[in-house]
Amino acid sequence: MSELAIRRGAAPALAVEGLGYAYPHAPVAALRDVSLEVAPGEFVLLAGRSASGKSTLLKAACGLVPHFHGGEIEGEVRVADLDAIAAGPGELAAAVGYLAQDPETQVVSTTVAAEIELPLEMRGDEPHDRARAVEEVALALAIPHLLGRTVDTLSGGELQRVALAAALVTRPRLILLDEPTSQLDPVAGDELIWLLRRLNEEWGVAVLLAEHRLERCLAAADRVVAMEAGRVAFDGAPAEFLAWAQTADPALETPAARLFSLAGIEPLPVGVRDARQTLRGMGITHPPNRSSRRVRDPHPSDPALEAKGLWVELDRGDDVRDVLKGIDLTIRPGERVALMGRNGAGKSTLLRTAAGLHEPVAGKIEVGPVALLTQNPGDYLVRERVGDELPGEEGLAALRVVGLEEKIDADPRDLSGGERQRLALAIALAGRTEGEQLPGLVALDEPTRGMDRARKDELVALIGRLAGSVEFLSPGDKKSTRAAVVVATHDVEFASEFADRVALLGDGVVIADGPTAEILSGGWYFATEVARVLDLPGVVTPEQGAAALAEEER
Amino acid sequence: MKSAFAYQPRPWPLQSASPGAAIAYLGAIVAVAFLYSNPLVLIAAGVAAVAAGLLAGARRAVALALKMGLALALLIVVVNALVVSRGETVLARLGEWPLLGQVDVTLEAIVAGASGGLRAAVAMVAAAVYSACVDPDRVLRALRPLAGRSALTATLVSRLVPVAAADAARLRDAARLRGPGAAEVGKAPLARRLLAGSLDRAVDVAATLELRGYSLDAPRARNRRDRSRYDRRFYAIAAAVLAAAIAGKALGAEDFQTYPSIEVGFGPATLAVAAIVALSGLAPLRRKGRVSSSSRIARQSRHAEVARV
Repeated sequence: MSELAIRRGAAPALAVEGLGYAYPHAPVAALRDVSLEVAPGEFVLLAGRSASGKSTLLKAACGLVPHFHGGEIEGEVRVADLDAIAAGPGELAAAVGYLAQDPETQVVSTTVAAEIELPLEMRGDEPHDRARAVEEVALALAIPHLLGRTVDTLSGGELQRVALAAALVTRPRLILLDEPTSQLDPVAGDELIWLLRRLNEEWGVAVLLAEHRLERCLAAADRVVAMEAGRVAFDGAPAEFLAWAQTADPALETPAARLFSLAGIEPLPVGVRDARQTLRGMGITHPPNRSSRRVRDPHPSDPALEAKGLWVELDRGDDVRDVLKGIDLTIRPGERVALMGRNGAGKSTLLRTAAGLHEPVAGKIEVGPVALLTQNPGDYLVRERVGDELPGEEGLAALRVVGLEEKIDADPRDLSGGERQRLALAIALAGRTEGEQLPGLVALDEPTRGMDRARKDELVALIGRLAGSVEFLSPGDKKSTRAAVVVATHDVEFASEFADRVALLGDGVVIADGPTAEILSGGWYFATEVARVLDLPGVVTPEQGAAALAEEER
Repeated sequence: MKSAFAYQPRPWPLQSASPGAAIAYLGAIVAVAFLYSNPLVLIAAGVAAVAAGLLAGARRAVALALKMGLALALLIVVVNALVVSRGETVLARLGEWPLLGQVDVTLEAIVAGASGGLRAAVAMVAAAVYSACVDPDRVLRALRPLAGRSALTATLVSRLVPVAAADAARLRDAARLRGPGAAEVGKAPLARRLLAGSLDRAVDVAATLELRGYSLDAPRARNRRDRSRYDRRFYAIAAAVLAAAIAGKALGAEDFQTYPSIEVGFGPATLAVAAIVALSGLAPLRRKGRVSSSSRIARQSRHAEVARV
């Protein structure tokens, strides 16, 4: 087929037929008899739990599987009429762009302009063509102001856009994205999804997007493909997908769909606008306006963390910047607090200061023993046996807290992602779970990156146990064993599930602090999907929403 | 935290200059330091390197390089004083030392060591200014037509070094955050973990390069001529410094000897070479744009019209 015909979209952007694949030495196949087609200009959402084969399918579509990873493959993969199994990722680079979860490892140059230009240079394009392509893709992604910067000065969101620009600069027919919003705050995440939709509409580039936070992108998709144990379990329109998920895998339901399911409303909505239209059609415009109740302090004990006028500055090499600017915050034992805010708002810095990794330049912070789990749990795991990481009685007690005592002889590398995270938390807790050294504060920094719903539910349960009456810690004195749990997170739905309080940071100061139901129902970006649908103070979860709708019916 | 030696783009002369011009300029200063042993000329070269760095905004890189360079210079002075016993002015007799034999510390050996140390310090400061002010992507692009694969390997290494440094900082933090009941993190497990992490990172970066078309046997891309309006200035100053240094040599400006006794010449040729070299440090100076009298008049009349309206 001629290149012109391919450009005009005669061939599918991606055609997969009977694809099976197993990684080298893997006991089970990652993909089994997968068949699907992505039409030119189509926006397809790839859904599924962790390890269901989404990432492997994307890697097969860009040639990394099997060319880079090895393993055994069968079936057929064609990208813009090129045989992806015969051609390597280099040959496919002109037809397909790929963006992975971690933007850090997707940049290879020092400056942004050089990074975006590299694929064109490798292809042998002329200098003036390269200059124009770089300019156009920078304008399309709204990053021309970044072209002169070095990549190590960019935020996560900016770096993700630069990596996307490098993937798009060759004008591919298909762009593959593997959880591109997992490290972004809600604002940057939403911006990226709508940017993709715009590129999809204006440039005609087909999009295949793997995501766990379906509520963020379902409304932008033309079609959903759900994977289960390496197979395609569902392939259809977003509305049909929600009906399928309702019975086949409720963990894949979006919060708005769950709200409608619980309230018995049909059809299930694919987005906020859809949900509002359905409710309006039913004559429900303003469900009863339940006034938000300020929860009085249920734990009048000594604070687990008290920050007063806390200022922290960080030296980033090229500039010294105040990251925390006079923070006042008190957290008491038993409280579950979600620390939210944009990337760079100061969430991680506050947790790291509490754990003693940064010194305040003004103000004070008083805190007892702190167990902090940073964003990369793998950093805590340095030995080849769980028991070697956590020796003795104190180690065993910490393993019991996170429910891993039976894995004491396992190699940490053989644990699942969720188990590795719990092991890292146990390492931070070890020795702080008994006697005088109970953890006053358990802090988790972005613990839900790349997590599916089932794993998030497990984490919610663990947080509840740590903040609740932790009988396994000290059966004789339940009150004193309650830890305050603070979680820095971008995931508003997760925050609505675990937190009883939300502190919203903006540019180094606390801009809102109150009960979860109040904070997460009072905005747009930092609001749950249910809150955006119903726009009711104090209603943030599907269960609360269904109760409000039931009250309206009565 | 970003390394002090990491490249920081700025629209200033040294950063804007083509890699060839910047390398010629800084290379000329280093060449003088290796051509001369006269302390006056070496100090002038050091002044030039420091001034160039400061005028190019590389304050942290210069400060750190000076600290490291002077520490190295001190080490060279000490080692030279202990190892070389030549010279007439004996300051201390330290007796018989294992391996070294009779150790006599002489003033001449100390001065000779100081001269060598100063030379090393100048080279370090110039290298730091290069690292902080010359865009490695532009250098590698300029090198690519000559050695494509080597340039790409250098690109990979230059990318992985800061990534590995960030990984090491994170691992150190995680080690500090372990509970008192967890096993201590020894240096060996930490190093193993860092190495394993670096290999994973290298695989990821290699995958990215594959996706960018690195393995393609594409026709070699032509590059734009990488020029700036400051190139002439840096090439001219580099040529002037080298010409002065060579002419100075011919005219006897290198009138410095340490053994058996110290003789330092401060003749007109030496002073002239030192002055030219020191002044070359002003090359990265930014000039504010001058407004010509005609354009000033035009601007004033426009302002007057706006005021009338």
